[in-house]
Amino acid sequence: MSPLENRAWLMLWTMCPIYLVYFAIQIAAPPWLSSMLQRIACLAVAAGAHGVISVVGLLVLLARQRGQGLLADERDRAIEAHATRIAYYVLMGGAVVVGMVMPFSKGGWSLVNAALLSIVLAEALRNLLIVRGYRGSPALAQ
Amino acid sequence: MPSETLTNEIRLLRFLANDMTQAELGKRVGLTRQTIAAIEQGRYSPSLEVAFRIAHVFGKGIDEVFKWTPADGA
Repeated sequence: MSPLENRAWLMLWTMCPIYLVYFAIQIAAPPWLSSMLQRIACLAVAAGAHGVISVVGLLVLLARQRGQGLLADERDRAIEAHATRIAYYVLMGGAVVVGMVMPFSKGGWSLVNAALLSIVLAEALRNLLIVRGYRGSPALAQ
Repeated sequence: MPSETLTNEIRLLRFLANDMTQAELGKRVGLTRQTIAAIEQGRYSPSLEVAFRIAHVFGKGIDEVFKWTPADGA
């Protein structure tokens, strides 16, 4: 498996479960999540867990790939560029909704969570497209 | 509707070149082993520059390594 595909799988397996739990908690709105400080703490725990697991995973992958020579070539760059280009549109759509539509009807944590959701969706889509680029049809790898 | 296809003889040429490994060929043309495997299986079409480099490694012309069949089969 290529290093870029390994990283994409790592990001998917770390980010998706953590933010699924985070957004489930936000939707359920339990009583212990009522104050601003508690909400910030919840977000900090999710972001912190994602950050720590990702960094540890990346370090492990880097250690495994040491001495393998070339880590990325034109195919890797093409797959990454294709995935990033499509994820950019998702992120841009999210930015329009959060910055230009939602402020007229919502505020506070709704905006924060919507912005976070658009980032998570864009990043998840990017990594899914990278994985698909390696395993899918030739057109997806161009 | 028929579609255009790009096939190649890299697997055969590697075999004829003392069973050169995908990793060795990749190293000589600046690609990863995974990309050489993808090219051999027709899952990735390399850039023109890489195609020339691959052909050069085997001492062949690019048309002897890669075969392109247009959609109309002509």
